[in-house]
Amino acid sequence: MPPTANFERATTLRLSSGCDLQKVRPMTKAVREFLAAEGATEEEVGACELALVEACNNAVLYATPEGKKKSVEVEASLEAIGIELKVHDHTNGFRMPEITDLPVDESESGRGLFLMRSLMDVVAYKAKKEGNTLILKKNRTQNLLTKRNPTDLVDTLHKRLQESEHIITDMMDELSSCYESLSAIFRAGAQLGKTNNLEEFSRTLGKELLEITGADWYVFRIVPKDDSRLVLFVSHPVIETGPLPIGISCDADSTAEMKAAVGRRDVWFHDRAPLDPCDPLRLSMPPSFGLVHPFFFGDILMGTLTVGKAMGRPVFNAANSQVVHTFAEFLGIQVANARMRDEQINHQLVSHELKIARNIQHALLPRVLPQFSRVNLAGFYESARQVGGDFYDVIPLGDESLLLVLADVMGKGIPAAMFAAIFRSLLRSSPELNMQPGALLSRVNRLLFNDLSDVDMFITAQVIFVDAKNNRLTIANAGHCPVLLTSQGAAVEVILPEGMPIGILPEAEFPETTHELSEQARLLVYTDGLTETRNAAREMFGQDRLVELLSKNRHETADQLKKRLAEELAVFRSNAPLEDDLTFLLLAREKE
Amino acid sequence: MKVHHNGETLLITGIKELGATNANAFRDQVRASIVDGHKHIEIDLSETMFLDSCGLGALISLHKTICARNGLVRLINPTPPVQQILELTRMHRIFEIVKR
Repeated sequence: MPPTANFERATTLRLSSGCDLQKVRPMTKAVREFLAAEGATEEEVGACELALVEACNNAVLYATPEGKKKSVEVEASLEAIGIELKVHDHTNGFRMPEITDLPVDESESGRGLFLMRSLMDVVAYKAKKEGNTLILKKNRTQNLLTKRNPTDLVDTLHKRLQESEHIITDMMDELSSCYESLSAIFRAGAQLGKTNNLEEFSRTLGKELLEITGADWYVFRIVPKDDSRLVLFVSHPVIETGPLPIGISCDADSTAEMKAAVGRRDVWFHDRAPLDPCDPLRLSMPPSFGLVHPFFFGDILMGTLTVGKAMGRPVFNAANSQVVHTFAEFLGIQVANARMRDEQINHQLVSHELKIARNIQHALLPRVLPQFSRVNLAGFYESARQVGGDFYDVIPLGDESLLLVLADVMGKGIPAAMFAAIFRSLLRSSPELNMQPGALLSRVNRLLFNDLSDVDMFITAQVIFVDAKNNRLTIANAGHCPVLLTSQGAAVEVILPEGMPIGILPEAEFPETTHELSEQARLLVYTDGLTETRNAAREMFGQDRLVELLSKNRHETADQLKKRLAEELAVFRSNAPLEDDLTFLLLAREKE
Repeated sequence: MKVHHNGETLLITGIKELGATNANAFRDQVRASIVDGHKHIEIDLSETMFLDSCGLGALISLHKTICARNGLVRLINPTPPVQQILELTRMHRIFEIVKR
């Protein structure tokens, strides 16, 4: 049988007074007299009195407007093991910090909690729906140890055990309240997994929030990505009017939500601290009191969560505001997650698009170059990571003649690859103009002009008719870089006929130039990716190196020259990344 | 509470309690008593049996007022409970505490 019979009973004093600073001292003096009369030491009485005064002052000073109409209640219990004081308040509550430091010396406030913690052994705060309680305890270990009667000691220890059990029960209550909000978050989280729709998810979470906190409405706003202004994302269930604009009828900075967002702190509104007359919360909601909580992801403001209740209903307590905080933090994380997911998907789309463009690009290049008896050919193509629109083509025309095309579509990705494909088809669709490269370019320019200028793209190209029978070259240029030609016993010739890129002017002309293709001549056609290839020191490969290479190796076949040039480029570039597509075409006239 | 003008010192005596209910009034009354010749404030705490954080706030406020005149606030003969609070909140760093 538990030894309840011998329990030293606690003596308790309960007092209550109006919510008024003037009434604090009479009440705390009464507690002082009670403790002294019950045998507490002078030191214990002094400490308890001051701690109690600090607690009661706070209960009065921070009472909500509703709370001011209610009383401040005090309980004082004295036992052999300790003194317990309880103050029941009607404030919005507060979160007990883990450590309480003194403020800076010059501060005129902020020492109350420090005093309570210094003077008492336990300072705890319980926020509950029906009101908050501050508990102050002072141990009387001295008293306990001087007890002579062992039965008393056992009784006292047993009592202390019971007290601990009581505290555990209270903690269980708090835990179950936390569990309630956590499970609501999990339920909503599971839904998010199903819908992936942030708006719907926020609504679900909002409903749970109203249930747990007893609020009548909520407004959830998020800051749009890449924007510093607050706009509505999800509204309240009371009035489904759609978005609540901020800052239309008045200065946005005077609204409670903006104050909370800019000040990075909670903003409470009630009849003593009313909303601005043009605050959208005031205009759209029934007369209410409530709380605006800004929430962050790291340091970045993600948005605000506001809850409100109709005037006259029970105030929000500390537990409620903590639930609002938890929900808001959780929503903030979800918003950040959703954004990251979008970015990831976008990134995947881009790389998928690049892959498609690369495939198109490769399909345009001739797999095997046609063979001719009097000339030999070699082509080279290397694409940069960001696919551009380079391509080359060789069209045999019979009689040992052929048309060489090398082009660069300005732009990246699928659009550039598509235009390259169209350009290639158009060139091949006018065989009657194959011997007149200038006229061919004019025709293609007319056909493509509208499409290209619509998307602000253009194409540069060299088109060369190689008349192997008469050993002549006819060259037309559409804003492309020069072609290089070597002839026996002569310097390397740099040929650059006039001509605008395709897609710049609707009726552009492309004057042709003709050149002799002498025995053992070598012709190099390339895109600017070749001369603009850079090494690690950011130097460009340049045209001079090309001229020198051709000049020194003018007896090599097209294929040998191609390999030599590719090697030299690789050595020059070393480990530097390729910034643009690199394309060139070589033609060599055989020795007769 | 009584106010004495003692050369360049303003002396305040007869304070029974200094807490939330009277701290602001105390501060305002002392401030109002400061005249041009005053450099220092001495506050006799020998009768003060109770001091809370609001009372401390009032004393610090006066300290700031008198600092602007390059003067000092001296706390005279605090009672043991008040002395304990002053030490606990490290007010001895700000005020000159004098026992006479």
